[in-house]
Amino acid sequence: MNETTDCAANNPMPEAANYRRPPEVVMRLARMGSFHQTRLSFMRALLRRLKQERWRFKRNLWAIDAQGFGRAVYTVYGPERAYSLVAFSHHLPDDMRSDRVIATAWDATFTLFDGIPDEADLDRLELNVPKQEAGRISDSELSLSRANRSVRLWQHVIDRLSAGLQPERDQLESVGYLVRTTAVYGSGKFGAADRLAISGRPELSGPFQAELLSVWLTRAFSIDLIEHIARARGGDRAVNIEPELRRRIGVGNSTGLGMAPFLVNHPALLNNWMMAREEAFARVRSLPRAEAAAIDEFKRHFERARFNVSQWHSEHPIQVEKLALLNADLEKMAAYIERESLDDDHPWDRFYRWAEDKLSLEGQEQLLSLMLEPYGALVDDLTQCMDADEHVSFFIDGSMPIAGLLEIVDSRCAWALAVDYEQPDNCARFWYTSAEKLEPRVGERFDEPGAEYELPLAIGCAIKQLHAALLAWERGSTTAEFLLAHPEHRHTVRRVQNLVSHPYAEIQDNLIAADMLPIDILRCKLSFFGATRFDPRSDRWVRICMYQDAPFPHEWLEGAP
Amino acid sequence: MSYYITLAEIESYLRKAARASGLEWGLAEEAGKAARWLAAFDLPGPETLLAHLQNLAGKDYAAFIPRCDLQPWQVDGDGPLCPIITGAALADRSAAILDGNELTLGKTAYPILLAAALGQAARFHRCAFSICWSGLRLDCFGNGLTIEGERDSLLLAEVDQVCCCRSEATTPQQLASTGAYSIAEEVFKAIDALAFETYAPATAESRAGAGAGLTDND
Repeated sequence: MNETTDCAANNPMPEAANYRRPPEVVMRLARMGSFHQTRLSFMRALLRRLKQERWRFKRNLWAIDAQGFGRAVYTVYGPERAYSLVAFSHHLPDDMRSDRVIATAWDATFTLFDGIPDEADLDRLELNVPKQEAGRISDSELSLSRANRSVRLWQHVIDRLSAGLQPERDQLESVGYLVRTTAVYGSGKFGAADRLAISGRPELSGPFQAELLSVWLTRAFSIDLIEHIARARGGDRAVNIEPELRRRIGVGNSTGLGMAPFLVNHPALLNNWMMAREEAFARVRSLPRAEAAAIDEFKRHFERARFNVSQWHSEHPIQVEKLALLNADLEKMAAYIERESLDDDHPWDRFYRWAEDKLSLEGQEQLLSLMLEPYGALVDDLTQCMDADEHVSFFIDGSMPIAGLLEIVDSRCAWALAVDYEQPDNCARFWYTSAEKLEPRVGERFDEPGAEYELPLAIGCAIKQLHAALLAWERGSTTAEFLLAHPEHRHTVRRVQNLVSHPYAEIQDNLIAADMLPIDILRCKLSFFGATRFDPRSDRWVRICMYQDAPFPHEWLEGAP
Repeated sequence: MSYYITLAEIESYLRKAARASGLEWGLAEEAGKAARWLAAFDLPGPETLLAHLQNLAGKDYAAFIPRCDLQPWQVDGDGPLCPIITGAALADRSAAILDGNELTLGKTAYPILLAAALGQAARFHRCAFSICWSGLRLDCFGNGLTIEGERDSLLLAEVDQVCCCRSEATTPQQLASTGAYSIAEEVFKAIDALAFETYAPATAESRAGAGAGLTDND
């Protein structure tokens, strides 16, 4: 089931469509920037599959010295194929430790190997993986990534474990991870296997499954590593982290602007992610009544969410305010749950309609995530609808009359036409790729040079320009004729036509406005990954936690011989 | 010396190189896809496109607009048709070709690049298109290719006539690979240098802009 059309044809609950929130409600940056992880998130889909298919796990190599430097291999074995995280741990002076994508050295570097590497593979990888962007991997590798230690937690945990003590829970939970990754590259980057080479494998057909498998194994590596160092230092006195406390440790990630254009550059994919999420929510809202077991499960997850929010800290004023609203929303939800019946009269729909009226966007989106929790049997199949055949959606229907194109713009792009892009605040920014860093950046159009290098990400503005050009054209002419005369609109026509089959493909906000917040785009994408604890460090850079509370490979999977 | 680049890298680099050569973003995207499509059959899409882009640079789009109302298609003037602009125009009219219309093109640069555009269209229509020039015929499928006739004509820099029609073939000789593509270092360097022209030089603002300006040692 690659395309939305197939997913639509196979939809077991077409009646839920009436409960779907329309794109003009969903595709707004303020809402997308308030998304929380759901049970459809890619990390959770991955772990469910590994369990259902009875994958096995083995740490095949541990060649790490007493200081914690060396190499290790972690392998998971599926029904047909095995995948191995290859980890290299290095000495890194403090003054070289940087989360920025521009760093040149890291505490540890990783690749996900397709199969089980031999010595020659490891030697080849050791020459390249530690260099990251400056090295070169091959189509035997599916990802390339790196991680730095959390200095504030790392030393504390070693000191405690080597002295035979558990880490302080508060300190551990306030950070939430021992290592923090930055870029996790895949899909043909730096020589890695092309997406098409692996997308036919069921276990990797969903979005970012290889990358997120590598992160899950990286988390296990980070804890094995710190326990190893503590043992080397403390000898017989040293202890391991208690299993329950261990679960509280995830993997950090630090992500900047480089990730933001992805959602704009992959409209069919964005549509399919959004569509799956909205369809799942619509299915739950369409239920006429809820069983006691579902209500109990919802309440369990609600209490967990309250706890998690209490653990979620940020110093950034935007997120501080959003967290205050979310905390207040959770109190209102608690009162609602206490007061109202949740068992009949379309209880979930009623609850959500109340929330739309009473809660902030943070609270509304938290409620969506919680409502999906009891209904895995109803919604988990939608994770199979979250990839996209972008080659098909690339095609332009040149036979479409201009009247047809205009009809799409008029009916689906009111958000783009409503903005006056001549106003300085409405065109204050421009997106470009930096020659120095080879990474996307946002510039201030009126204060910085470089606007001539603008990337085609100002979709709203481009749609408005297209609209003006179409109005001056014969209604009965074809798109093909129009594009021959106006190649500058080709990129936008492709996107506009795509909206008919992919209504959730466009972010319905002005991406070059003075008040646009890139972190909203980042949070949307990261919530689909399954990230938690969004902690913006600026309006264009965010830290998150991945796999916190998730099981570890040795707990979740049987051992391999 | 040569080394391997992935299909994703080919598409990304050639898209930018095409943009740097003056093509609008929408056409540059088609160019990137064309190079990728050919490379997946181990045909020199990146090399051919680079050579074509080097001819294109600095010239006005108007000089390459095909007169699609004429048979054969040609530009106003005596230059050859650009296979990227013309390829996009062919793909845009692929429904008519599917209906049985045969199209003829006049003088055309690097006709092999047209094959990629028809392959893209074939993928959408779930059919195949034929394209012929100089004793050679290609049947272009969404994910496959058949080459028949004069293979020496494959990489011609310019031909006098190209014909294009629906293909009745149902099975391609060759399926697209997803593996990496071997490219000569100097060709890649030239592509990289062109692509680099789409990047904005660093400024104090761009250096400060992306990070938080906070310490990472925490």
